[in-house]
Amino acid sequence: MTTSNAPLPTYQAKDYKSELKPIWCPGCGDFGVVQAIYRALAAIGRPPHEIAFVSGIGCSSRIPGYTTAYGFNSVHGRALPIAQGIKIASPELLVLVAGGDGDGFSIGGGHVAHAVRRNTDITYIVMDNQIYGLTKGQLSPTSPKGLHTVTSEYGSLEEAVNPLLYVLAYGANFVAQGTPADMAGLAEVIEAAIRFPGFSFVNVQSPCVTFGEDDQQVKNHRATMQSLAKLGHDPTDRLAAMGLAQKYGKELHTGVFYKNPDPPPTMNALIKERQQVLSEKAPPRSRIFDRFLQT
Amino acid sequence: MTDKTRSIDLANISLRDALDLAVLVEEEAKDRYEEFADQMELHHNPEAARFFRFMLAIEAKHESRLAERRRGLFGDEPRAVKREMIFDIEAPEYDEVRANMTLRQALDASLRAETKAFEFFEAAAEMVQMKDVQDIFTELREEEREHQALVRQEIDRLPPEGPARDDDDEIVAL
Repeated sequence: MTTSNAPLPTYQAKDYKSELKPIWCPGCGDFGVVQAIYRALAAIGRPPHEIAFVSGIGCSSRIPGYTTAYGFNSVHGRALPIAQGIKIASPELLVLVAGGDGDGFSIGGGHVAHAVRRNTDITYIVMDNQIYGLTKGQLSPTSPKGLHTVTSEYGSLEEAVNPLLYVLAYGANFVAQGTPADMAGLAEVIEAAIRFPGFSFVNVQSPCVTFGEDDQQVKNHRATMQSLAKLGHDPTDRLAAMGLAQKYGKELHTGVFYKNPDPPPTMNALIKERQQVLSEKAPPRSRIFDRFLQT
Repeated sequence: MTDKTRSIDLANISLRDALDLAVLVEEEAKDRYEEFADQMELHHNPEAARFFRFMLAIEAKHESRLAERRRGLFGDEPRAVKREMIFDIEAPEYDEVRANMTLRQALDASLRAETKAFEFFEAAAEMVQMKDVQDIFTELREEEREHQALVRQEIDRLPPEGPARDDDDEIVAL
């Protein structure tokens, strides 16, 4: 057998960019998010054919098409179960999931809790624009109370879902938040989430330029965002993370809220362990065949 | 300044790395203008698209001039500075554009981008240790000043702007 001394190929952000041109509205926060994803993937260095990118339905769910990874633009709200299936069947793949707040916390809301507790090694990136943009501006689960939209002429009467607190409460082991107003920081948290062994969650405040509120746009993020690292937050303290997460919608914190310093085994690791135990206990094939013939 | 670069020690940057950084800054700006021009064409705004293509050509010219200079001095020596290490130094931010933006707004966005590039190279020139690197950054700063003047000249040529278009009923999201 011969071994090659040729250096391993390295990948640049542009290697993950597909030929397809994004058709989001000019000024949309998602342009920055996809750039941050390219950069995070370049830092990880896995070739595009070893990456699977799954999404649901919505503006942000177009993202898999804008990458050179394998893409699955799936059913509304069902990206997480599909991604978990892919990861369990093909553990060698790096599996990413993208979607909006409506896809993730309304129609797909029931899946989030189970993805968290199942702890499959996937990264879930939610582009939280607090509105249904693709369908022309209706209330979404993270729309702030009082918001005026085409479906809430007199202002929304409902409290917003808090995605950060939601996943932290269900025991997520990696929870972060970013904004396209801080591209370097966003690329960094996405990279950290991908590197984390287990289910990781990144909430990206990605404003809707067409139907979103004026004071919630990227320019406003630049003026108001607060880095958790600069605030001295300890990302290994889940309760402190939950305390900060309660400020969702009022303050914009960026960085890692929580990262379990002692990550529990992933679903794939547990399956492998179970298969090992069962194969050790299993009788030899010949005995199984004899028993089959006797019955 | 630090949020514009990652893993680059500007204070101790070598001449080769400084030139590579300069090439990448222009490349990033060129790519962004191309994206903006594509977006404007897609959203039926030919005036803004034409202007962004004009800026794209300027950045491309600047990039190729710097790349040629780098090749002349350092040949094919590998690049230590990568595109992933820089963030919107001269490229206008994605949220600078709107589907229905006027030509004046496009020019204003471009002027802001040239201004921030000027500020970046000015701060970098003050920070660096080596004289030849400082000279390069100072030269780049002055080129950005020239670009600003060019954009200002275009702005001055525009007729006064009328009231903003009311596009509330226009379908812009696809």
